[in-house]
Amino acid sequence: MRPHDELLDSVAAYALGVLPPEEAAEVQAHLQSCDSCREEYRYLQPAVTALAYSSEACADATAGAVTVSPLLKARLMKQVRAEAAARQPSRRVWPAYALAAACLALAIATGLADLSLSERLNRELTQSAMQRQTIADLAASTSQRYAFAGGEVVENAGRLYIAMTGLPAPPPGRVYQAWTLAKGAQRVAPSVTFVPSSGGVSIVRLPQSATDLAAVAVSVEPAGGSQQPTTKPIALVHLSS
Amino acid sequence: MERVRARDAEAFETLYDRYHRLVYGVAMRVLADVSAAEDVTQTVFLKIWSSPALFRDGNFGAWIARVARNRAVDLVRTRTLHGESEIPHSIPAEDALEETALARISGERVREALAQLPVEQREPIELGFFGGVTQEQIARSTGLPLGTVKTRIRTGLRRLRHALEGQVTV
Repeated sequence: MRPHDELLDSVAAYALGVLPPEEAAEVQAHLQSCDSCREEYRYLQPAVTALAYSSEACADATAGAVTVSPLLKARLMKQVRAEAAARQPSRRVWPAYALAAACLALAIATGLADLSLSERLNRELTQSAMQRQTIADLAASTSQRYAFAGGEVVENAGRLYIAMTGLPAPPPGRVYQAWTLAKGAQRVAPSVTFVPSSGGVSIVRLPQSATDLAAVAVSVEPAGGSQQPTTKPIALVHLSS
Repeated sequence: MERVRARDAEAFETLYDRYHRLVYGVAMRVLADVSAAEDVTQTVFLKIWSSPALFRDGNFGAWIARVARNRAVDLVRTRTLHGESEIPHSIPAEDALEETALARISGERVREALAQLPVEQREPIELGFFGGVTQEQIARSTGLPLGTVKTRIRTGLRRLRHALEGQVTV
């Protein structure tokens, strides 16, 4: 066993980073069990950090000062931004909806019928799971997307969504209503009614399966919804089979 | 750092703006070569971007300064000692946890404090930290016993630490 003063000297050399690996490992292990050496290390470490700061480059070029080329940052950030974008492809495709999905409580309309108490409780329980599903579907690279002015219809594994941004609040006593056209059908069937959030964002999941549908539409209707459209649709999207 | 861990490029840019002069300054002091110092700076920051978990906790400035210094010293050793590397590449996590915070550290103040040290203490400290020179090499070059070199390093660091009292928060 070495005298303790010698160990304290080694702690200083360790803090400075000039010990060979085997001796550094020895000191490191010793620090775990020796309070006075650990105290010494804690005391000296800021002095070593200060040494580093003594050579910090200057922000402005003055005579003889070390400055950093702005090209370095440009190169680095170009690579970092490219990697960040590649990791989050959904952001580029869906900036407004991804933000809405992350920041807003999604109003997912599930139907027009009045819900019983037990149905409401059940809905509460499944709401968060549905929101997670919605976010995943909106962001999925495998989703089929049908753009229209003001939004997109998104379909993933048969689940169907209408996502809109910049949607104005409907006139008083009015709501937006979605319509679906079943394959082979002559008339559209009523689907969910909805109003956009205060930010003009609306993400609506339709209860119908996309595989049975030929088209989706949206129109403005009286509160409570209609059985057939009473106004010209603001969106009409034909789904590919 | 939480936002950098979440791959937030804006947060990373803020981190770069705050610490790149420290990293570059250390690398430049060790390597005395603009191109090599830029390479080290880029390597260190890209490493943080790709592996943010390497930094666990503690004083980030102290940690990144050590990483930059070790990286630059590794390069010096690769050039001069055929790849021999005697210094651990990154500061152990438990060291970072025990790091004392430096408040309002001023490079100018540190340089003044360093200048106040007796040359026989300042030289081994600067050689060791910026020169990438091991304690044995310092002993050989000065002709002093190894124990004397270590004692001078410790005495010098304690004096430096004492001189910086006002800038250190415990």
